[in-house]
Amino acid sequence: MAYGSVNADTLVTSTSGGVLGAGNASIMKNRIINGSMTIDQRNAGASVTNVASAATYTLDRWFYYASQASKFTIQQNAGSVTPPAGFTKYLGVTSSSAYTVGSGEIFQLAQYIEGYNVADLGWGTANAKTVTLSFQVYSSLTGTFGGALRNSNSDRSYPFTFTVSSANTWTQASVTIAGDTSGTWVTDNGIGIRLTFGLGMGSTFSGTAGSWSSNNYISATGATSVVGTNGATFYITGVQLEVGSSATGYEYRQYGQELALCQRYFETYQAGYVTGANYSTSGSQGFAMYFKVTKRATPTMAIVSGTATVSNAVAGNAGGTVAINNQPNSVSNGGDLYVTGASGIVAGNAGLLLPSTLIISYSAEL
Amino acid sequence: MYKLHIPIMQTEATCVIRLFDNAYIPFDPDNSDYQAFKKDLANGVELQDANGTAMTASEITAFLATLK
Repeated sequence: MAYGSVNADTLVTSTSGGVLGAGNASIMKNRIINGSMTIDQRNAGASVTNVASAATYTLDRWFYYASQASKFTIQQNAGSVTPPAGFTKYLGVTSSSAYTVGSGEIFQLAQYIEGYNVADLGWGTANAKTVTLSFQVYSSLTGTFGGALRNSNSDRSYPFTFTVSSANTWTQASVTIAGDTSGTWVTDNGIGIRLTFGLGMGSTFSGTAGSWSSNNYISATGATSVVGTNGATFYITGVQLEVGSSATGYEYRQYGQELALCQRYFETYQAGYVTGANYSTSGSQGFAMYFKVTKRATPTMAIVSGTATVSNAVAGNAGGTVAINNQPNSVSNGGDLYVTGASGIVAGNAGLLLPSTLIISYSAEL
Repeated sequence: MYKLHIPIMQTEATCVIRLFDNAYIPFDPDNSDYQAFKKDLANGVELQDANGTAMTASEITAFLATLK
């Protein structure tokens, strides 16, 4: 009886249909997080209009950067087309005008991959592994589109192209890239690989597809500009970056697993009951907050909406509504939340942070 | 613009507030917002002290020298 075979990409078992790495059964082969565009903690499916000159996250782990404001919108399942087979969500970009991109301008969609998650690729060494990027793409435009892989310092880049031959049709695209044997590639909690898709790229940041360069190329020369056509669409899902010289089946993860992977970089907290301590008669209280998932780095805290409602931990004390004061001494697995100004707070008592409209975000994106 | 923040029960700033969205950015070299903050200061973006007074270039330089 044959026991199966192994090649560079797949483990083929002697059981009919049992192929690890080439279909359903695989473990973390995909280095992209939220490649199926399922998780959207920030916007919950709402459309957002691009702002200028700031990396802005949309669906989890995916962000855009644009040199000009209001040139496109991004939304989960924009346009409500039927996703490709096997998927229920996609990331949709819709151009808002017909804009001619300047030579030094950038319009991009990107995901930066943490170094820990690509350390085994051995890039920057003689043992650099070949990878294959695959995805499903749908556009109102046809032609050659572009993107790139880059290192953290942006002094190593590999522009690539892919073709959309039929408008408004899901197309499977894949690009195989020989690992870079040069340059410095981060292998810790910094940026390991920058993956970008060009939505309109100036010539300064466009290079010849298909080879490594020491220039900062974010897309390929001659690539179609999505922002160049008013109303043009660019939809994408099923993004996978894997070791090997050919694309294999998309690695589906359970929803909770994918969400947890996203929460290493961003999570929200909606106020429930949290106990803390009152330490002054001026209404100052401190609450220890614990993240759902340990963060990549000490996160930035922001108030998404609402205010804190606090009280003494005493029956019948209604407490008061106060503004969040700060988040000092935060670490990657939790942070302190301080509030001040509530009336009736008794120093030395236990304090309560009560259920309210308060929503806090913690961001440790790359 | 940014504003230094001295938390309750502290005597020195431990984070900076990004004023356009009131986000609290920790002084962690691995935090990408902190990295952007330092680049912004190098490009002349205003930094206020904890009292809301715009810091001078020399004050900002001296402050940056205390950070990681």
